[in-house]
Amino acid sequence: MTTLEKLQILTDAAKYDVSCSSSGSERKAQKGGMGNAALPGICHSFTQDGRCISLLKILFTNQCIYDCAYCINRRSNDAVKRTAFTPEEVVDLVLQFYRRNYIEGLFLSSGIIRDVNYTMEQLIEVAKTLRERERFGGYIHIKGIPGSDPKLIERAGLYVDRMSINVELPTTRSLRLLAPDKKRIDMIEPMKLIREKKASYSADAGRFKHAPEFLPAGQTTQLIVGATDEADYSIIKLSEAFYGRMAMKRVYYSSYVPVGNFLAPIGAGGPMGMLREHRLYQADWLLRFYDFRADEILTPESPNLDMAIDPKTQWALRNRSFFPMEINRVSFKMLLRIPGIGNVTARRIMAARRFGPLDFDMLKKMGVVMKRAKYFILCKGKPYPGIVSFDAEHLRQRLIDAPKASQLSIFDLYSGGIQGGERNGLSL
Amino acid sequence: MDYLYDGTFEGALSGVYVMFYDRKPEEDQRLLEQQFYQADCLIPSKVVETDAVRAEKVARSIIKHFGVRGFRLVTTAYLAENKEYGTHLFRFLKHAYRIGEGAVDCLSDDAVLTLYKHYNSVTREVHRFLGFVRFSELENGVLYAQCEPTYNLLSLMVPHFTERLGNQTWVIHDTKRRMAAFFDQNTVEIKPLESVDGIRLSEWETSYRSLWQGYYDSAAIETRKSDKRQRQMMPKKYWKFLIENPQNQPNVYK
Ligand code: SF4
Repeated sequence: MTTLEKLQILTDAAKYDVSCSSSGSERKAQKGGMGNAALPGICHSFTQDGRCISLLKILFTNQCIYDCAYCINRRSNDAVKRTAFTPEEVVDLVLQFYRRNYIEGLFLSSGIIRDVNYTMEQLIEVAKTLRERERFGGYIHIKGIPGSDPKLIERAGLYVDRMSINVELPTTRSLRLLAPDKKRIDMIEPMKLIREKKASYSADAGRFKHAPEFLPAGQTTQLIVGATDEADYSIIKLSEAFYGRMAMKRVYYSSYVPVGNFLAPIGAGGPMGMLREHRLYQADWLLRFYDFRADEILTPESPNLDMAIDPKTQWALRNRSFFPMEINRVSFKMLLRIPGIGNVTARRIMAARRFGPLDFDMLKKMGVVMKRAKYFILCKGKPYPGIVSFDAEHLRQRLIDAPKASQLSIFDLYSGGIQGGERNGLSL
Repeated sequence: MDYLYDGTFEGALSGVYVMFYDRKPEEDQRLLEQQFYQADCLIPSKVVETDAVRAEKVARSIIKHFGVRGFRLVTTAYLAENKEYGTHLFRFLKHAYRIGEGAVDCLSDDAVLTLYKHYNSVTREVHRFLGFVRFSELENGVLYAQCEPTYNLLSLMVPHFTERLGNQTWVIHDTKRRMAAFFDQNTVEIKPLESVDGIRLSEWETSYRSLWQGYYDSAAIETRKSDKRQRQMMPKKYWKFLIENPQNQPNVYK
């Protein structure tokens, strides 16, 4: 088999993994070596479905001894051709693509061959060769294989920028059902280990000059949504716990795409699945950048996100006693709660307010989405011209924003994180 | 009064120096590029000489009052190559001196916002090009990239590639402005370069190109294709020199 054929097969097998980001690391170029990491991440191209290509995202092999029902690489699927790279082949592709500026680095995942430790060792071999022999300083993200020896996880962490151990499904029950070979504890334990190691290595880095870096871009995880029947509430509670207790950098949600003959709940994977994924990313965004708690976004009594309205507006509609807010007075934290005002705009408002009170015109120019914000704000004590107070249902009708599910992509939310200029705002 | 300068950054600073010195009312003062100027018999005009000493005085004053951030704002905005840059710069400084320290954050001010918008367009495009630039390996091992950015980005792209490809020899050629950055693993030089024909690629170049094209095609999820999203993220004007072919049209750069 030619390298091109292998590359096609092992790219095809890896493309459903949603994470691709190359952000979070500031690795410097090694002397005489090639490559560094850019903190905000860089997109080198966009696929025909509009997703950012930043890393060479491939599987080491699509052979697998496990049989996870949601995965095309599962042992029982006869429909795919199987192949494997050698570590040298991967190293050569990375270096040659990198010098031509096709990529930021490598995202290497793998099916399980022989056993978990052997598989993990293959991934480490690639990372080690790149870093030590080739002095490669570009971004490397590898998959942590659940159940592999903690020593291997630690060793890998010293070579790569980011590691992800996928939790796969929201609950232990679902995992038992769909991925009988995997155990929840085998995922949670290495996550904890990574959190602890990262803390102790960075403490060393504070004390000693040449202390080694451990996973500068931290760890992430991914879970499949819609293959099982968990409510959104339990999903975002789980994410909140990951962000808090595991110091997770990102949780990725992947709308289930049915493969083979496994029967998922009705509607899974269709356009509604994409819309749900989109709403989950919005809720996740609120957890990470807007200082929301999961219990403010959803409750056990109403455990699912409203598909017609974004979660922040849902919150505003449920908490109308906070509104309208005076733009010239409220805190940064409260500005962030106003529909139509994002992080960058809120920062701009805070900065500009120091020079005098702002009016509606200025707000528009500074990026406030007035269409949404006008129902929730005052400027110098006055409401937006023509705005009277609406009852809840009326207001809700006006704020419906169901994007066409067919046009959705998680990168609607994602792009901000990757396109440096955007989120950094006034970073002169 | 219309003041006319030679279109260089130093020229703009020299112009501003003279304008502040003349103390005319702000409203009707413009600072324009001499080569595009269309005289209007109702408006008096005056040519300002580019003067390194005066330009430096203005530059120092900007740094003193508004910090390195302030200076970066005006230099980066200059690279947007907007025809009105001189006037915008003058108005910005007029307002900024009145607002005082931290004026670059006062986006509620029109003159500040205008310059900031140009700054933003340039930095955004720089960020995009750090990803979209494609090098080809030539027969002699040199990496060569062509690009035609909307704004004058070369000087802003250079530091990124100097660190990243520090052990490589490369050339980034802005064929629209006929300028190129040359890096010999040591120092960078930006100088004029006409279009180069008869480029000879290295023996392996085409194989890696087809591997990349193969990767690119396989990475798309068929059922979710969306030309609109793709073009939003990667406008067509940037496709010309991409090795991968976003929509399988004949590639101009073979
Ligand atoms: S272990 Fe990974 S590659 Fe193997 S079947 Fe499960 S999800 Fe797929």
